[in-house]
Amino acid sequence: MKATRRKFLKTTALAGTGLAIWLEIPKNAAGETATVFEPNAYISITPDNVVRLWMTRSEMGQGIRTTLPMMLLEELEASWSQVRLEQAMPGGRFKGIRLRTSGSGSTVETYGAMRKAGATAREMLIAAAAEKWKVAPASCHAREGTVIHDPSGRKLTYGELATVAARQNVPDKPPLKPAKDFRLIGTRVKRRDGAAIVTGAARYGLDVRVPGMLYAVMERCPVLGGKLTRFDAEKALAVPGVRHVAPIHSGIATGVAVVADHTWAAIKGREALHVEWDPGPNADFDSDRFLAQMESAVTQTGFPIRNDGDAPKAMAAAAKTLEATYEFPFQAHAPLETMNCTADVRPDSCEIWVPTQAPEVALSDTAKMLGLPEDSVKVHITLLGGGFGRRLFADYVPEAVELSRAIGKPVQLVWTRSDDMRHGFFHPSDIEHIAGGLDAGNNPVAWVQKSVGSDLSMFGLPSEQDKTDPKFYFNDGSPWGLFDIPYNFPHLKADYIPLNSPVPTGPWRAVMYPPTVFARESFLDEMAHAAGQDPLEFRLKLLQPGDVHMVGGAMIDRGRLAGVLRLAAEKSNWKQPLTGAKDRWWGRGIACNVYDSDTYVAQVAEVSVGREAHDIRVHRVVCAVDCGLVVNPAGLEGQAESAIIWGLSATLHGRIDFKNGGAVQENFTDFDVVRMHESPQVETYTVSSDHPPAGFGETAVPPIAPAVANAIFAATGKRLRRLPITAEKLKA
Amino acid sequence: MPVFKLILNGKPHQVDADPQMALLWVLRDLLQLTGTKYGCGLGVCGACTVHEDGIPVHSCQIPLSATSAKSYVTIEGLSAHGDHPCQKAWLEEDVSQCGYCQAGMIMQAAALLKTHPNPTDQDIDNEMSDHVCRCGTYQRMRRAIHRAAREVSKA
Repeated sequence: MKATRRKFLKTTALAGTGLAIWLEIPKNAAGETATVFEPNAYISITPDNVVRLWMTRSEMGQGIRTTLPMMLLEELEASWSQVRLEQAMPGGRFKGIRLRTSGSGSTVETYGAMRKAGATAREMLIAAAAEKWKVAPASCHAREGTVIHDPSGRKLTYGELATVAARQNVPDKPPLKPAKDFRLIGTRVKRRDGAAIVTGAARYGLDVRVPGMLYAVMERCPVLGGKLTRFDAEKALAVPGVRHVAPIHSGIATGVAVVADHTWAAIKGREALHVEWDPGPNADFDSDRFLAQMESAVTQTGFPIRNDGDAPKAMAAAAKTLEATYEFPFQAHAPLETMNCTADVRPDSCEIWVPTQAPEVALSDTAKMLGLPEDSVKVHITLLGGGFGRRLFADYVPEAVELSRAIGKPVQLVWTRSDDMRHGFFHPSDIEHIAGGLDAGNNPVAWVQKSVGSDLSMFGLPSEQDKTDPKFYFNDGSPWGLFDIPYNFPHLKADYIPLNSPVPTGPWRAVMYPPTVFARESFLDEMAHAAGQDPLEFRLKLLQPGDVHMVGGAMIDRGRLAGVLRLAAEKSNWKQPLTGAKDRWWGRGIACNVYDSDTYVAQVAEVSVGREAHDIRVHRVVCAVDCGLVVNPAGLEGQAESAIIWGLSATLHGRIDFKNGGAVQENFTDFDVVRMHESPQVETYTVSSDHPPAGFGETAVPPIAPAVANAIFAATGKRLRRLPITAEKLKA
Repeated sequence: MPVFKLILNGKPHQVDADPQMALLWVLRDLLQLTGTKYGCGLGVCGACTVHEDGIPVHSCQIPLSATSAKSYVTIEGLSAHGDHPCQKAWLEEDVSQCGYCQAGMIMQAAALLKTHPNPTDQDIDNEMSDHVCRCGTYQRMRRAIHRAAREVSKA
């Protein structure tokens, strides 16, 4: 089966290192003389009683350096104190094992492998003890890093057993614990690596220090797709501390790098640089004009994504119809650690240190660029000062590699904040047009949605042949939230109209759901009000329990979505009016989404708006979640809070504009984000579930914008359909 | 180049560099104290916050020439064993996610507790809202600051 691009993002490695089936663990050849017990690529146990676990995901705040060992320890029956974490490197030992971190998948994708890795080792350690004691393995059990012979009470530590365990047969299907016996999975475990963070000892990409290294910053063409024509390095080289100036042709934009003894001199040298550009064909690109083009494009036919019943006929027959257009601007990721990479290119090898979600790409791109076999390239994955999808791109790796090769020294290439904000891969802007029909009894009968969006350029743009295939966009690429509209409308039509701009685009937190869910959940609110019904009850009528269907390309359980809506409503006292200070308007809004068939989220936002200044405050968000078995509830709550603040930043502040072919916003001065004084109380409630674990890192992002917009409508009677929602727009 | 003498984490240091060089880069690139982070370079994100004679400042905005005879504390020097009440409270409240902003946050919070031993939510808003956390750990930080304040008042 051809993997769709959506599945491609979720489950396979970009670099084509092959599919790593989650339960398929490469076995180690058990050497007779081994003193290190390595039953598989993930772990080793040494005679000093240390269990090493190789992290197969990048830590970017999702807490995987806590969750991954939890899942291993559950089956391995070792103790936290004996575990040491090593960061896996792409290639070598991990060839064929996915290291890419994306799609809310860190926990879900490793759950099976970690448990199997732990269970395999546990069974072999028990077999080793049984061999030593000459007893039946069934008379022994493992606990807290020791194997215990039950009848005699004899004990051996894993360290003492490591050498003998290494000689045991690797079981194909070691028994996994039934969920009722879990001691760790499902319990609240705080971040295990917090101490390094609060003391400043944690090392991110920008903290890499290699002997003899230099520091660089790079001036990139300010116009999208423009090219370097010439530069004059003389004044830059005159800045004390500047060592080299070199053109760079790889990466997202061509430009000139200034290399110095420290970052400060590199920045000063860059300011002194004289560079000339050929702006190319995009010099007059303007994002406002592009949004207007997108809005005009809703009249086009587009690619059919959904066609249930006969929506045009139902619309024509409807007693009441309404329609609206929603806008989502370009968004930056702006992780607090800017893009960076440290590279040390030598004649026949290369080492790089990089905060990346895509280490396989970093490896293959570097090897290809240098004409080296992948075995000669080492990719060290550092901690990530935020990822959010931006670090799925490795564009900042070849820049550093090219530069290190050019100067013959190790070098750290640092993006300034302005570089990071103007030269990223952005969340594409988006226009959604929705029309809805109600029958004479105010029942929803028809939904017609047209989505105008951009292809994510990380996938490569569609070929001419792709464009002739009417099924090309179905369950694929961009129209997430369109093919899987979860509501049971008797007549539903959804079309996708791709309109691409020169802006490089890619996944953002929650990939492509935020614009489609903002529009859908806002419009449901509009329909409910038009029908004179409660927005919660209106939704529940369209989500019957037990209704499990393939919807578009996704299996949706409408009962589970109804379940989280009811839970969020109950915990937020949805039925009770929200009141507060008399100089403000108060209101609640509700919204929900299903993230890629797996994760069901509903949110209620409590909002007030100042009667004078029209300032918006989000006081409290109740988030209800059904994502199957929860491995670490403490981690899930943190991710819910994080995702809601992320989505709220885009709801209230975030937008990137392009004028004259370049991004306008450059820093947190003009691309503001939610800060302490604007952050709401978030309460997270989970539905107890027997379903297997599903992803959660991104999945609480999409409902917050419509929940807030709906709450603002409830408070003020004003419907705002263009993000970000600001006091100025509310006043207008 | 002139030599600048400053006290850093209790020890005298001499730095021979461009007088205009921001303290942030002195710390990170010359003295290898990488706990202080670069986030914006304009003094608007708080990631580079250190204490200057006990006052929280943005080290990306302090030229080396202004550091003479002043005493600076960075996250590495906040406590001898990572046991400042804020650091402990941060762990108790499970605040950090990616963690990149947290050194700056903790330095700001530690200074806040000096001036406001029992801060209100409004005090916390006033003092902490110069800082950016893209992981959105704000409410946990608020709880951690209140927790640290309780510990300080008990001591």
